[in-house]
Amino acid sequence: MKTITAYKCKNCGLVMYPHHYRCLNCNGREFKEMSPSSGGKLVTYTVIDQLPWGIDERGRVLGVVQFDNGVKALGLIQSENPRIGMKLKADWGPVRVIGGEKIMGLIFHPTR
Amino acid sequence: MRSVVVAGAGMIPFERRDDDSLVDMLASAGLNAMDDAGIGDHPVDSVYVGNMASGLFNHQVSVASALVDRLSLMPAAADRVENGPASGGSAIKNGFLAVASGYHDVVLVVGGEKMRAVIGPKATDIVAAMTHPEAEYIYGLTLPAMAGMFTRLYMEKYGVTREHLSMVAIKNQENGLLNPYAHIQMQITMEGILTHPQAHVNSPVVAEPLHLYDCCPVSDGAAAVLLTTEELAAKWKKPPVKIVGVGQATDTHTLHERSDPTDLKAVRIASEKAFSMAGVKPKDIDVAELHDAFTILEIAESEHAGFFKIGEGAKALEEGVTRIGGKLPINPSGGLKARGHPVGATGVAQVVELVWQLRGEAGERQVKKAKKGFSLNFGGFGNNVLAFVLRSDV
Repeated sequence: MKTITAYKCKNCGLVMYPHHYRCLNCNGREFKEMSPSSGGKLVTYTVIDQLPWGIDERGRVLGVVQFDNGVKALGLIQSENPRIGMKLKADWGPVRVIGGEKIMGLIFHPTR
Repeated sequence: MRSVVVAGAGMIPFERRDDDSLVDMLASAGLNAMDDAGIGDHPVDSVYVGNMASGLFNHQVSVASALVDRLSLMPAAADRVENGPASGGSAIKNGFLAVASGYHDVVLVVGGEKMRAVIGPKATDIVAAMTHPEAEYIYGLTLPAMAGMFTRLYMEKYGVTREHLSMVAIKNQENGLLNPYAHIQMQITMEGILTHPQAHVNSPVVAEPLHLYDCCPVSDGAAAVLLTTEELAAKWKKPPVKIVGVGQATDTHTLHERSDPTDLKAVRIASEKAFSMAGVKPKDIDVAELHDAFTILEIAESEHAGFFKIGEGAKALEEGVTRIGGKLPINPSGGLKARGHPVGATGVAQVVELVWQLRGEAGERQVKKAKKGFSLNFGGFGNNVLAFVLRSDV
């Protein structure tokens, strides 16, 4: 599955996403590219009713997910009853259309 | 460094201003500050314009150059300063440094934004352009949504409730009724925005748990200050108000990369720097203007700036400490919540309010015996913050 690329500092081990030219912790400049694990848990979320131009919907749920391997990222949450701490599985799919082009990103589903 | 005095302060009412261009608004506010100082034909050395997104909202760039032309201030130096919702604060910092360093003697700082030129969802999209392009923007993340995620964590960690958030909104709307420059001149009640079964009709969800009345309105407006030296200010005879502390700090671009997303580090550090430079403590402050773009921010900033312990801002609010007449009135102007938040104008409008308060010119909303003021301009979602301490007693 295609996914985001996260970065692990070769000096101190801090895991970062998105990319930084220097490590947030030790200023190191060498990183090992890594993928997030298959799932994680919901850190926080919001349900948005007033979305920006170009997203013609209501009730979009966005949340921050901490993956089991330490990567943290924002993504679309496909759950009508989100709650902090819930377990989620990551998927990859269209999250927005910009200029007629489908933009792909992280989509999370509750783990059964 | 030389002392820097705010010799003049001026604004135009924040509202929807269909008949004025952005440059008209900047010029009117700038003239108000120049006339307030009484500088007459004395030359202005430099102009700083705080503006976030004239290119996107109004299809006009180089607005500082346009402003000096409109005000016939040539050959004054002119720069536009862009720092998201802290553009106004950054413009003041630049003006402060120019005077403090001795490079310029008279500096006009104007902040302004004309946001109502576009429809609401477009304005939301333009403001969201400050989020991380690949890690945030593509998902439809908005600033209210970032604030919503922050609020949920803050509620869980510190027991802040929607009632507390509504108390901020009600207090600031009440203050706004006393401010002729405020955009939303309206009394609201707890029943109308929270407790009545149909309250959600008045105050629908924007980004849970934040509702409409937890968010500032989208406004047009401009505000200006004229900065100068002690010597020139003495000639112009306005009651002297000095900028004695300036602090700025940054934090990670994305909210999710903060080790504790409820810790507003940049607010803490910017405030500490401003207080340290001023040589005063939070307990010495008589009046504060905080960046309540969302109700939760007034509570969280009041703690991180050092006025209350972390987690105790809501209690101070409940006890009336932050009302006009309380021990530390916060946002007597009505704040962003009632005055409005034309993004580039806000940091300047906060300092204008402090100048009026410290001179004793704030009319019905005057905080008694105010001599020391503090303002906080919160850029991005707390990733670039400016803090100022002003005094009229030195």
